[in-house]
Formats: sequence, C-alpha cells, structure tokens
Amino acid sequence: MRTFLLSIVALFVSALAYAQVPSVTVENAKGETVNTKTLIKEGTPMIVSFWSTSCKPCIRELDAIYDALPDWLEEADFRVVAVSTDDSRLLAKAKSFAEGRGWGEDFTLLFDKNQDFMRAMNVSVVPHVFVLDGTGKVVYSHTSYVPGNELELLEAIKKCSK
Amino acid sequence: MRLFITFVGILMSASILSAQDEGYLTGSFETTDHSYVKDAANKFTPADDPFGSNNYLKLDYYKGNFSAGMQLEGYAPVLIGFPDDLSKFAMSNLYVNWRDEDFQITAGTFYDQFGSGLLFRSWEDRLLGLNNAIMGARFAYNYEDKVAFKAFWGTPRLGMGLSDTQVRGADLSVSLSNILGFDEVMLNVEGSVLNRYEKISLDAEEAGGKPTSTGFSGRLNFDWNGMFFKGEYVDLGKKLVNLTPKRGNAQLVEVGYNGRGLGVTLTGRRLEWMGQKISSRSLSTANLISYVPAMSTQYTYMLTTLHPYNPQVGDESTIAFNSGEMGGQLDAFYNFRRGTKLGGKRGMKVHANFSTYYTLAQEGTAKPGNLLFRDFSFDLEKQWTKEFKMVLLYSMQEYNPTYGNFKTTWLSNIMVADLLYKWTPTFSTRMELQYLTTQEDKKDWMAALLEVNFAPHWSIWGSDMYNHGSTKMHYYNVGVSYTKGRTRLAGGYGRYKDGFICSGGVCRQIPQYTGANFSITTSF
Repeated sequence: MRTFLLSIVALFVSALAYAQVPSVTVENAKGETVNTKTLIKEGTPMIVSFWSTSCKPCIRELDAIYDALPDWLEEADFRVVAVSTDDSRLLAKAKSFAEGRGWGEDFTLLFDKNQDFMRAMNVSVVPHVFVLDGTGKVVYSHTSYVPGNELELLEAIKKCSK
Repeated sequence: MRLFITFVGILMSASILSAQDEGYLTGSFETTDHSYVKDAANKFTPADDPFGSNNYLKLDYYKGNFSAGMQLEGYAPVLIGFPDDLSKFAMSNLYVNWRDEDFQITAGTFYDQFGSGLLFRSWEDRLLGLNNAIMGARFAYNYEDKVAFKAFWGTPRLGMGLSDTQVRGADLSVSLSNILGFDEVMLNVEGSVLNRYEKISLDAEEAGGKPTSTGFSGRLNFDWNGMFFKGEYVDLGKKLVNLTPKRGNAQLVEVGYNGRGLGVTLTGRRLEWMGQKISSRSLSTANLISYVPAMSTQYTYMLTTLHPYNPQVGDESTIAFNSGEMGGQLDAFYNFRRGTKLGGKRGMKVHANFSTYYTLAQEGTAKPGNLLFRDFSFDLEKQWTKEFKMVLLYSMQEYNPTYGNFKTTWLSNIMVADLLYKWTPTFSTRMELQYLTTQEDKKDWMAALLEVNFAPHWSIWGSDMYNHGSTKMHYYNVGVSYTKGRTRLAGGYGRYKDGFICSGGVCRQIPQYTGANFSITTSF
C-alpha cells in the first residue's frame, strides 16, 4: 500500500507540466468536424468556456464576456471559444440559442455532443472556463460562475499577452 | 488493485520520461455525500445506514499523440435514487489511445455515438449514475475531411462490471460538399451499423428470438448559409417484445435557420419499439445502449420541472406498454439588438417553444393516438441597467399521468420571474419567484429562491417550494458554496420532493428525502 501511495505522490509531482488542449473531434456551427488542436494554430491566447443550454450560470458568464468584449479587446488580443456540451437532445437548440444571443458574431462556437472534449479537459461540471496562452497551455481555469468572476479572466489574458 | 498499481506505475514511468518532452497529467475528483435524517412530514425514514457517498477519481496522461487514462468509482454506499447495482469500489474506465490528425486507435474503455444516438450511444452522466462505456477496441480514420470511418468491438459496462452483451459497430460519413469542392454548402451522407450479441432464454429462443441482432441507420446533413436540414432513419431490426417479434424503427427530422440574431429549429420524431437495452435481464435505469431523449424544453426552474416529459420509446419494461410515440417541437430565439426600438440600450432576447407528443394510434403508421405531453413556453430576457437583469418565463404544460394509456391530461400554467441585481462588480443577489396554477393533481404551488453571491469565492442560497393548493408541504433547501479556481465545495440541507431528475434527456425517479449534502469537485 505504501508503494501505491508513493506512486500516486510521485505521479502528481512529475506531472507539473502545464495541461494543454488535447486532440479531440468536435463540430462547428455548420456541423463540420473540427479537431480541437486547430484552435491553437492561430497563436493568440483564448478563453475556452464550456456551457450548455440548461446551465443558467454558463449563459450568464458568456453574456458577461460578450458584453465586456469590446472593452477587453482594447486591452489585449485574444479569442473566445464557447464549447456547448449539449447532447443530441439539445444540439440543434444550442446552435439556435447561440445565434439568438449574438454569440456567433464574436465567439468561435463549438459543439461537443458526446462530451469528448469536456472529458479530455477533465471538466466535471459546467460552467468551466479556461484561459490558454498562444501555445495552447492552460494558464488559468475556474469552475462555476457568479457575477464578477469574469474579471479574473481579463487579468489572466493580460498576463498571457505580456 | 494489482492492475491499478501496475497502471499507475506505467503512467508514472511515462510521466517521468516525458519531463523532457512536455507530457502532462490531468485529472479530476468528485465526491457527493448525503446524510439522511428521519422526517415524518416528508414520509421519509432513512435506511439502517443513513449515509450515501458517490466518488469519482479520473486521471488522464497525454504525451504527444499518445494518451492513457483511468477512472475509479466508489459508492459507500450509493446515494438514494441512483441505480442500486452501483456499490463499493471499481476501476470503471481504463484506456490507452493513440491519435494523429487522421487516425485514432483506442484499446480499453471508450465512449462513442452514431448520429443522434438513436442507434448507439455510450456515455457517462454522473447525475444519473449512468456510465455505459464500452470495453474493447475502437479505431477511426479520416481521409482529408472527405471520408470518415470508425469501427469498434466491445462489451458495455453495466453496474460495477461488464455485461454479458457484446456489441460491434461501424460508421461511415461521406462529405459530398468537400469531395465536390463546395465552399458554402455542407452536405454529408452518413450510415451506421450496430450488431449486438446476448445469450437469450429458452423461451425467447422457442418464440423465434435470436441471440444476435443488427440495426442500421442512414443520415443526411445539409447546411447552406445558416439554413439546415438533418434527416435520420433508424432500423433496429427484429426483436422480441413480450415474446412477440417487433421491428424497431425511428425517423428524425430537424430543419431550421440560424443567422442575423434569429435561431429557428423545427424537430419531428417518430419512435416505434426503439427501447434498446444492454441486458434483457437487468432492471437498472442505467441499462441503456442507445439515446432516445425527450425532444422538448429542458427546464431548470423548480416548478417547471414537476412533470418533465418522459418519452415513450416502445419497450416492454417502460412504465406504460406503448409501442412508441410521435411528435415534434418548434424553437425560436431572437435577439433584439442594442439601439433598436424593442432592444433599447442593452438589447433584449426572446425565446418561444412549442412541443407536442402523442402515442402511436396504430403500429406501423404515423397516426397519432392519445396526447402524451404538450408545452408552450415563452421567455424574455432584458438587461434594464448595468446592474439589473430580468428574465420572465411563462409555460403552459399539459401532461398525461397515465403515459398515454388514457386520454386524461393535467394542465398547469407556470410563471417565473428571475431577477439579478449587481450591487458592486463582485457582490450580487438573485431572486426567483415562481407560481404554478392547476385544477388537477396537487393544485397550486408557489416557490421562491434567494441567492447572494460574493465573487469570486462565495455563494449562499435558500429556497422554498410550497404546495398551498393541497398538501401544505414545504420543500426547503439552504446551501453555501466556496469556489477557488477549479475547486468547488458546496454544502446544504433540505427536504427534497420525489420526482424525476432529468439530465441530458434521460430521467430517473428519485425518492423524497430529507438530509444534508456535501460535495467537492476539483480538477487539475
């Protein structure tokens, strides 16, 4: 048992490297398949927010980002990727929902209908937001949302841009 | 345990080796714990062990194109309302995976889905205690985004171990638009096949049943400048229902438009004998190998979820013995932009939904029988000032309490106001006021919720759902949560009403109970 526990501790210590975006297939708004690795090819930092149509805090968070985006973009260059975790029950609705909130104009919309990307990023509950630097490394992440949490995102993005 | 230690050893070795080339470990841990108390008013008496605890530890290691991972689950014992075949500890998931831009191969456990999942879906939903991961092998190949093919073979998980059923499947997707070089049009033709093997009883064999069955699905996906069409036909093949041969089949159509702040989707679906289990001998609510969700609004406000729709998939083990259902829904979302007459300074968002479902009057036809469920809802969201945001929702729900066996329906009208006020950039309050009025069932209800948020860490809430029309019962709930980065701790106490919990379109019955709850969710 001691060996087992030591193994676990050693495993964690050896894994201090930054997590990154794994290679997973998701859909874009058009229904085409997209590999998540292609997200980091553009080299700019990004906010990746996992949401679903039945998650009200997720929607509040993305609305808060959407409202603040014009001001934030004056302070730093970055992109926002909104990843819907709705399954096939709500997939078509999620696409219409995102369009009906104007998100499609400013966000990259991805749809993770069998939660492969969510699982690969070890997201247990939504909302869960990540800030990735230009190379795709996770530099900040947060689960749940209450109004005001979005202010931490801008700080994390600014650190990436330095 | 030996297997686990070996696996951790392999991961550790790989992790140490990867120190030079950017390998990394990621994972998550989740525990939900309940302590039940006796509550005579709620007719709840806990079992001998008044505790429940569901626990999950997931680890994934990535290095270049290689990844490996595992999941440990522990139920000590399982929470009330979850499938009772979940008990003690087990390593539920264990996999190694290799993937480049075009090719992927997985050995061990994996999740996958064909089309909308009507033919086959393996997935995990911890709220429902559902994890039907397949243990076996899977590979996928994508040729220049023109042709994608995947195939697998394996055994679905059921309860804490593997089932006796074997499944093999293949899926082909051909992008005609990419082959023909269309830029603005997306046109995909897709097809799947699923073969399953399960040893059957002598009675079933004598009635003409076979241990193997094969199902097919064909799909067409089209999108052009925001206009879209999706069509899916599923044939489950012949199966025995109460020792009578039936052919499972389903048709699904989605058509709509998304663009210029408008999102409209019209969905139509017909199901006939589409119930498909992993094992014919298990009564677990997690005994599913396909995904046939309710195609209606998934509400989250307390009083709107008292009677969620539970689709009649056509199965001998469903609550009512219906051959299936047919119906559809229309969703429309619109964003009145800032600066317009109705949008005002900060815009306004509106949404309407209409959904209606019927039993099949006659097998093999699309003739509607008794009404199962009907819902019309409208909601409006308006940010009045920088500080104040309001959501108003109205829903008229008609629900068949006999799951379509009789024509009788219950009608209820529900109104919700959701008011959020930001006092400072990091201090806010949110209040929900809800009312349900009906002549049937337990008559009228009212509910209220108050949430006080201190960003970025604390949130405190309290709610009460009161049936003043009949039972005079209060269902109260208070709680607090603390979040720091990826870690969230939450605790609460309350009296909970029996009913369905629906998540991702699947529902399970939960008993009423009273007690305290505590949860930790973290990832790294």
